[in-house]
Amino acid sequence: MSTLEIKDLYASVETKEGRKQILKGVNLTVDSGETHAIMGPNGSGKSTLAYTLAGHPKYEVDSGQALLDGQDILTMTPDERAKAGLFLAMQYPVEVPGVSMTNFLRTAKTEVDGEAPQIRQWVKDLSEAMTRLKMDPKFAQRSVNEGFSGGEKKRAEVLQLELLKPKFAVLDETDSGLDVDALRIVSEGVNRAKDNTGMGILMVTHYTRILKYIKPDIVHVFADGHFVRTGGPELADELEEHGYDQYLPQGAESESALA
Amino acid sequence: MAQVEQEIQIPVANPQDPYALPAAMPSSADKSPRSFSVDDFAVPDRKQDDWRFTPVERLEEFYHVFTPSGKTTVEVSMIDGTAVPADLISLYQTKLSEDSATVGKPNDRVSAVEWNSGTTSTVLEVAGEIDKPILVAVHGAGMQLDAFHLVIKAADRAHADVVVEHDGPALLAEGVEIITGKDSHVSTTFIQEWDEGSKMVGNHRIRVGEGATLRHSVVTLGGDVVRLRMDQDFGGAQSDVLMLGIYFVDPGEHIEHRTMVVHNHPECKSRVIYKGALDGKDAHATWVGNALIEPTAPGTDSYELNRNLVLTPGAVADSEPNLEIENGNIVGAGHASSVGRFDDEELFYLQSRGIGEVEARKLVVRGFFAELIDQIGIPAIADHLMTAINRRLARTEAVAGK
Repeated sequence: MSTLEIKDLYASVETKEGRKQILKGVNLTVDSGETHAIMGPNGSGKSTLAYTLAGHPKYEVDSGQALLDGQDILTMTPDERAKAGLFLAMQYPVEVPGVSMTNFLRTAKTEVDGEAPQIRQWVKDLSEAMTRLKMDPKFAQRSVNEGFSGGEKKRAEVLQLELLKPKFAVLDETDSGLDVDALRIVSEGVNRAKDNTGMGILMVTHYTRILKYIKPDIVHVFADGHFVRTGGPELADELEEHGYDQYLPQGAESESALA
Repeated sequence: MAQVEQEIQIPVANPQDPYALPAAMPSSADKSPRSFSVDDFAVPDRKQDDWRFTPVERLEEFYHVFTPSGKTTVEVSMIDGTAVPADLISLYQTKLSEDSATVGKPNDRVSAVEWNSGTTSTVLEVAGEIDKPILVAVHGAGMQLDAFHLVIKAADRAHADVVVEHDGPALLAEGVEIITGKDSHVSTTFIQEWDEGSKMVGNHRIRVGEGATLRHSVVTLGGDVVRLRMDQDFGGAQSDVLMLGIYFVDPGEHIEHRTMVVHNHPECKSRVIYKGALDGKDAHATWVGNALIEPTAPGTDSYELNRNLVLTPGAVADSEPNLEIENGNIVGAGHASSVGRFDDEELFYLQSRGIGEVEARKLVVRGFFAELIDQIGIPAIADHLMTAINRRLARTEAVAGK
């Protein structure tokens, strides 16, 4: 049983107009086995929260902590956070030319586990995981994410999630850009990973569509850099019906309403 | 410099095919002398366009005819160490003279000096289907000036792969002539893995036969100053040349590659792809890619690309593609060139999967080269090159780790 506890987190990003604070006092506790949906309007800072937890160099922590079983991961390098058990499934997975998926996955697995996987078992696990995600075996020989379609990239993220077995997974808009079939396959992968490891999930999403497949225990509304409301799964239905307008600052126009 | 004055013939445009009209101006190739005589070329200085990126003062020993030490050694075998099959491969030495010139005359001062300083030419003739790569191992003989001339001739319809390796300490002027026969499929790979402090000037003169394919790769991984010029043209229509280059430059080193692709026959295809990594203060790489599409070459498809990865600050990369297009009826003539640092997003992605920064950088650098090596498409050679590159990177990483 593990706990991820975010305490009063403030974080900023450097922009052309200067330093801008995006996260303004985030507080959240996630236990193993729980699925939290983090919903909110565009520009509210949901993705910033995800990347700040993972340690992207663009985001600077101003104050606060993120304790994974009592250890503050915010003081760690990104790879140390991964070894501590955090995984970020990215909205836009990065292409790494010339590095094959097999080499990348085996290296990552070795680093996260602290020892090289048994080769036979590894080949079997990889091939089975790819089959379940309906990924062409040829993908393993291709460069990391290179030439993958949007849907293929998301499957590759979930493949890593299944193989690396983190304690906590942050899914950043994993549903975006997926058609119905791909959404189902990807969601099944996430659910399978959770069943196998009992991990906790923070699912950042804009739409309620994915919540039909990955059932949240708790739904949060994130606006203007912090959580403004928390409820059960029924909160998602309410958001679906009424949108995020009531959570926007006075006078601000909702981007989602414009779109 | 001797200049041959030529009267320019201005062609009359055909109204049915206005784009067939060649440009009515002398091309750069028309202006460049080709000669066996050293005196037809000025001593290089940085005011000359071909030498403006070169630290000319560091190559001074190669500007005047010298007495070669003759100590450079050559061993030829198959890449797995077995003897070459005598029925398909012949290897001999011949006197270096104007009669023995295979592809063309020298095209700059240092290649004319090489021609006039050297005495013998090593000739490798290949024919038929040769299933394993041939390895030509050239060992430098220390810091005495030497000249080495190599001719590779592939017969019509030959299938062969030749790897030429250079190692040891050397001050070497090298001339290479490559001529391939009709409908042949040949690859030639040149690896420069010189000891620290070595210098080399090299000149490749290449003619690709009609309907033939040549994959020409140059891998330069070490040497104080290495300057290689590759001039290539076609012996007939519908030929295909792929010129790949990989280089790794340490602090203070100057590594220069100049490619000249001349499309002189119809419907030929050329690809020039050079990629290098530069590490540390005053590491200097130069790539100049010239492509000339002559009026006689309709249907040309040409493209050249150069990418530089700067690993640590203080390095300088010159990257200059030059296109000269004298024919409007072509498939394509493109170029791309870049100098960049490590991509932070790539590093973060790898790190977020548990891979430490040092290891992530290693993966990205190897990936940068592996992408190119994959294009060689001959596993035995790709493995050989990746081993050489891993050896080279491990050396730099060991220094960085201290």
